[in-house]
Amino acid sequence: MSLFNAKTPMTTISFSSALITALRLLLGAIFILSGGEKLLDLKYFALVIAEYQILPSLFIPAVALLVSLCELLCGTMLLVDLFSQISASVMLSLMAIFIAAMTNNVIRGLEHDCGCFEFLAQWYGLKEEIGIGPIVRDILFFILLLPIALLGSNRIPWKKHKG
Amino acid sequence: MSGKPLRRTLVASLLLLSSFSPALSQLHAGESAALAKEESGQVDLSAAKALFDSRSACFVDSRSEYAYYTSHIKGAISLSESRFDEQFPDFRQKKSIETLIVVYCVGPSCPKARHVAEKLKKNGYRNVKVFSGGLVEWSHAGFPIEG
Repeated sequence: MSLFNAKTPMTTISFSSALITALRLLLGAIFILSGGEKLLDLKYFALVIAEYQILPSLFIPAVALLVSLCELLCGTMLLVDLFSQISASVMLSLMAIFIAAMTNNVIRGLEHDCGCFEFLAQWYGLKEEIGIGPIVRDILFFILLLPIALLGSNRIPWKKHKG
Repeated sequence: MSGKPLRRTLVASLLLLSSFSPALSQLHAGESAALAKEESGQVDLSAAKALFDSRSACFVDSRSEYAYYTSHIKGAISLSESRFDEQFPDFRQKKSIETLIVVYCVGPSCPKARHVAEKLKKNGYRNVKVFSGGLVEWSHAGFPIEG
């Protein structure tokens, strides 16, 4: 009985850390792919942002660059576990903006590309337009980012930690 | 006496004419459809290609700018339905109101070309045609595209 009690907290800690590691690796890879492809064709991404009809034209190129860099940097940091709590929080904010923007345009009855994963269209011919599918997917990403943002670490992996 | 053959000839010629008329109407059907299209401000693939070859018209892509960026009819200008107000001032500077404009979308089911054509007409452009076949028909025919 005492043996069981002693093992329970350890099992819980290792399970939650394993879950967070798995989520970090999965989401990190997805965001690197997503941000990287946007950076490769920034003009296309800027034109898709313009189609959302939310931002003034003047800010669109800067926002396109910022979003792409954010996804790439946060994805990399999640993957290598560098300030992963902050990275997950930044991506949470970004997901909230994406969900709000897409919901707004679906309500307005607009039909256009979502600008999410263009490689799907290029590799598999899956053209992704704004709609319930991408909104639900971003909500899922939001939920998956929550444990990292709440329980993840802000450590620097190459620095030795005391204790 | 001479009235009978005349009547017979008249009846025979009327019968002959009525038997030929459906065939004649079929022959003229295509021509009249093309004429009606032309009058309603639409052009078909062959007419669009003739205008393209003669360089007498400006082709306008009414789809979204990102779709235009991916592929469009060679030499076409983007004037999307969704961002018409933002793009129009630049277009107005480049093209005079006398220019013959051919607006197209992705295909016949896409209403954007018609909407952009109407907006152009409201802004003073008189020679505006719609190529209803759109980019799908154009590219299937193997005509030049770029992007």
